[in-house]
Amino acid sequence: MANSVERRNLEPWQDPRAMPYVRIDHVTKKFNDIYAVDDVTLDIYQGEFFSLLGSSGCGKSTLLRLMAGLERPTAGRIYIDGMDVTDMPAYSRPVNMMFQSYALFPHMTVEQNVEFGLKQDRLSRQERAERVSDMLTLLQIGELRKRKPDQLSGGQRQRVALARTLAKHPKLLLLDEPLGALDKRLRESAQFELVNLQERIGITFVTVTHDQEEAMTMSTRIAVMDAGRILQVDTPTAIYEYPEYRFVADFIGLVNLFEGRVVENEGDQVVIESTVGRRLRLRDLRPHAIGAPVTVAIRPEKLSICETYQEDGVNQIKGVVEDIAYLGDVSIYRVRVSPAMLVEMTLTNVQPRTEQVLTWGQEVAMEWSPTSGVVLTE
Amino acid sequence: MNHGRWKLYTFLGLGLAFLYLPVLLLIIYSFNESRLVTVWTGFSTQWYRELMQNRQLLEAAWLSVRIAATNATFAVILGTLAANALVRHGRFRGRTGFQLLLTAPLVMPEVITGLSLLLLFVTLEDLVGWPNGRGFTTITIAHITFSMAYVAVVVRSRLSQMDRSLEEAAMDLGARPLRVYLSITLPLIAPALLAGWLLAFTLSLDDLVISSFVAGPGSTTLPMVVYSSVRMGVSPQINALASIVVLIVAVAVCIAGFSLRQRSAGANSPPRA
Repeated sequence: MANSVERRNLEPWQDPRAMPYVRIDHVTKKFNDIYAVDDVTLDIYQGEFFSLLGSSGCGKSTLLRLMAGLERPTAGRIYIDGMDVTDMPAYSRPVNMMFQSYALFPHMTVEQNVEFGLKQDRLSRQERAERVSDMLTLLQIGELRKRKPDQLSGGQRQRVALARTLAKHPKLLLLDEPLGALDKRLRESAQFELVNLQERIGITFVTVTHDQEEAMTMSTRIAVMDAGRILQVDTPTAIYEYPEYRFVADFIGLVNLFEGRVVENEGDQVVIESTVGRRLRLRDLRPHAIGAPVTVAIRPEKLSICETYQEDGVNQIKGVVEDIAYLGDVSIYRVRVSPAMLVEMTLTNVQPRTEQVLTWGQEVAMEWSPTSGVVLTE
Repeated sequence: MNHGRWKLYTFLGLGLAFLYLPVLLLIIYSFNESRLVTVWTGFSTQWYRELMQNRQLLEAAWLSVRIAATNATFAVILGTLAANALVRHGRFRGRTGFQLLLTAPLVMPEVITGLSLLLLFVTLEDLVGWPNGRGFTTITIAHITFSMAYVAVVVRSRLSQMDRSLEEAAMDLGARPLRVYLSITLPLIAPALLAGWLLAFTLSLDDLVISSFVAGPGSTTLPMVVYSSVRMGVSPQINALASIVVLIVAVAVCIAGFSLRQRSAGANSPPRA
């Protein structure tokens, strides 16, 4: 795994000299009058595990289909490995796609399914046989080779679909909700397996998912999409810790959003008067106009119980516990701080539940540090 | 067994009897020894033996089978093309009109279909000298016009159930459109094609009205022979012949139904979210 750690640490998108492997250049796709993809520009680098994340109907699947050649863009160009593939039909693109339904051919055996793409390339019988057995071994499905798709479980189908797309050694593998059809337990192990597989074979992966946890676990970078546009492209950590948009902060994980106005710029910190009547102080290098409306996003796990609550304290807030969601490892406390606002706080359950300090209806004060939230202007 | 259920079975029995008792009687009486169709005197297979020596009937049967097979083959080809156009080519100009024209033969009275085709053939012969007289060709063409509509309905439903991503996957794996059609689409709709073929075959085999209009001298089909001989008085040979036809039709319908049901699970992959 040392090798993979090395690759993960390389961040080609930070390197101005690096050539993008996939370049999507001002691509727009209209269906009748609806913009499914709206002027998207995106660079993906070789060896990346890139995720397109968004709710359903945000255009992420259309963007994937544009890369596969199953849709033609209304405007813009698409380049793969330096080659303009915009006008290239799906069957000539050096790209393969794994469909959400897996789309295994029901009238063919596992072996024939995997061999199908190789036959289209007119490889010799011997070469085809070798590649098929390589793929079946790689995905540990050798013993299924004579089965038909309807004799396979969901997890097995997923492996066959993967084997079929990888058999052609594509330059780029597109995966549409690769784990969407699996049950939760299987999905977690499949996530790690998919990442390991990608690191082993070194092919660039682009996946589409609506599951933010899945995107966080697997990706080198994530593009968050909404209404046909890409809002933010960043590493999972950056997306989670430093969202640039309200939508991104809200979409990924739980978040508390405080509305307010800028009161003061103090060096590398900014002071905000929030609508719930508390002052917030956050680290932010940008100079803000005094009185500008902003939103402060603070993750529930960044909050802690405050022992030194003061009436005019900064980065402190008080309320009454209204709801407790016990998740085993952590509990989420929903605290009513004003008639219109609930603040969520996550605490690790160090003690068994029966010995917990907080209970329903109890008043609690919470605090956070200036570095644990972000100021959003959009 | 409770009261309601008992009633249900009684009505089911009555319904089935209403539908199939006449056919059953016909089959039983085909093994009757007597020349009189309505009087049972004993078991015999003599009418089957006599049937085998009746050249007129056998020739008519052979002609009918040839027409039915040719008709079914063309109907499947044309019906499949029509179904493809309707399912796969979106909202093209004239689609509604095409759809109406395609389903018209399903509801058109046979007398009208027969008469209009006869007029067409006569006019065509006057104008271009084809078809030269009426017979095998004209009957087959007439049958194709209505049976392709049935085929189109069957194939269309199968095509629209099919998961589009199967074809997209094939294309993504490097198959050109024709190859996709031959190695993915066709095998998956094959049960519907078989069912459509058998349906067209049986429709043609027992068609009397349309055939009567467009048939010529020397091209008498089996239903026409049966119909005309019944008017002279029913010979038990007809019973024997009818029993054989019932057997063939029953087998064909069973195969068609079975092949449609079989593997229909395979075409229904989980839907896209």
